[in-house]
Amino acid sequence: MIERSPPACGRWRWAGLLAFSALIALRADAASALLGKQAPDFALHGLDGRNRRLSEYRGRVVLINFWARWAGDSRVEMPVLDRLNTTYRRAGLVVLGVSIDDDLRRAGEFAAAMHVGYPILLDTGETLGRDYALQRLPMTVLVDRSGIVRVVRVGYRRGDESAYLAAIRELLRE
Amino acid sequence: MNSGPVMNRNRRVVSIALCAGALLCACAALALGAAPVQNAAPVQNAAPVQGEAPSPPAAAASPRADFKTLDQQVQGVKKDVIDLNKDLFILEENLLFPANTQVAVYLSMDVGRFFALDSVTIKIDNKEVANYLYTTREVDALMKGGVQRIYLGNQKIGKHELVAFFEGKGPHGLDYRRGATITFDKGIGAKYLELKITDRVARHEPEFTIKDWE
Repeated sequence: MIERSPPACGRWRWAGLLAFSALIALRADAASALLGKQAPDFALHGLDGRNRRLSEYRGRVVLINFWARWAGDSRVEMPVLDRLNTTYRRAGLVVLGVSIDDDLRRAGEFAAAMHVGYPILLDTGETLGRDYALQRLPMTVLVDRSGIVRVVRVGYRRGDESAYLAAIRELLRE
Repeated sequence: MNSGPVMNRNRRVVSIALCAGALLCACAALALGAAPVQNAAPVQNAAPVQGEAPSPPAAAASPRADFKTLDQQVQGVKKDVIDLNKDLFILEENLLFPANTQVAVYLSMDVGRFFALDSVTIKIDNKEVANYLYTTREVDALMKGGVQRIYLGNQKIGKHELVAFFEGKGPHGLDYRRGATITFDKGIGAKYLELKITDRVARHEPEFTIKDWE
C-alpha cells in the first residue's frame, strides 16, 4: 500500500499538469484567435474623466495594454509603453492602458502613481475579458490602422520592448 | 629594281578597289536611306511622318483614357456594393425586427448647457435592453443635431413600460443622474420613441422627456 501510493500520487500530478497545460494552450489559442480579426470595440471610462471608444481611433495604430495592479509585470511594462507613447504619438500611435481590476478606485490610485502619459481606462474585465480572451496579465494587443488585431502578446519579459518597437514601426509604415 | 613599280601598281590597284568598295557601300546606304522617303510618299505613311511631333501626347492620352474608364468602373462597383449593402441592411432589419414587433428608441439632445451626457441605460419592462457610454465626439455630434438610434428590438403587442436613466455632469459639474419613464402601447405597426434631453432655462437645469412618435 505504501509502495503503491507514490506512483498513484505521481499519476494524479501528471494528469493535473497535463490538464493545466491543455487549459493554458486552449487559452493561448483563444488569444491568438484574435489575430487577423477586427478588434472587438469597447467604450470605457477614462481616469481623466473622459470616455474613450476604440473605434474612434480608426486610422491610427492602437496599442491596448490590459493590466492590473496585482500583476507584477505591469509595473515594469507601463514605463516602457509610456516611452513608446512619447516617441511615436506624433507618428500616429495611440496607447491605451486598460485596467482589469475589481477595485476601480485602487486601480485609479495605482495608475496615477505610475505617472504615465497615455490614457488609462477602467474596467472590471467582465465583457472585455471575454471579448479579448484575457488569460494572463499584462496582455498587449496591437491594432492596425484598419482596426485589425496584428499582434497579441501575453505577459511581459525584459527585451519585449524591441519586439513592440519593430511591430509599431512596421504598422506605422503601412 | 623592278619590284618598286610593281609594288606601286599593286598599291594603286588595292586603293582603287578600296575606293570602289567605299563608293558601293555609300550608294547602298543612300539607297536604303532613301527607301522610307520613297515609301513616305503614300498618304497612309505620310501621316505618321507629319504627326511625329504630336505622337508622344497621343500615346500618353490612351493610357490616361484607360485609367479614366478603369476609375469609372471602380466607382461603379463601389456604388453597387454600397447599394447592395443598404439593401441587405434593410432586409436584415425587416427579417430580424418585423414591423409588428419592432420598437426603436432614439436619443436627441438640444443645447446641453446644463448637462454633460455620460451614459444612458434603457430598461423595458424592468429588463435592461441598452446601455451606452458616450465619448466627447459623440456628445458633440448629438449637440450639433445628431440623432442616435440607441435601441432596436422586438416587443410583443400590448402595454410596455420604458425607463431611461441618464447619467452625466449636472449644472455645477456635479454628478447627475435622472430618470424618465413612459408607458407605451405597442400596436401592429413599428413603435418609435424618442428620448429628448433639453435645457430648462428658467430653472437652470436639464429636462429629460420621452416622446412617443405615433
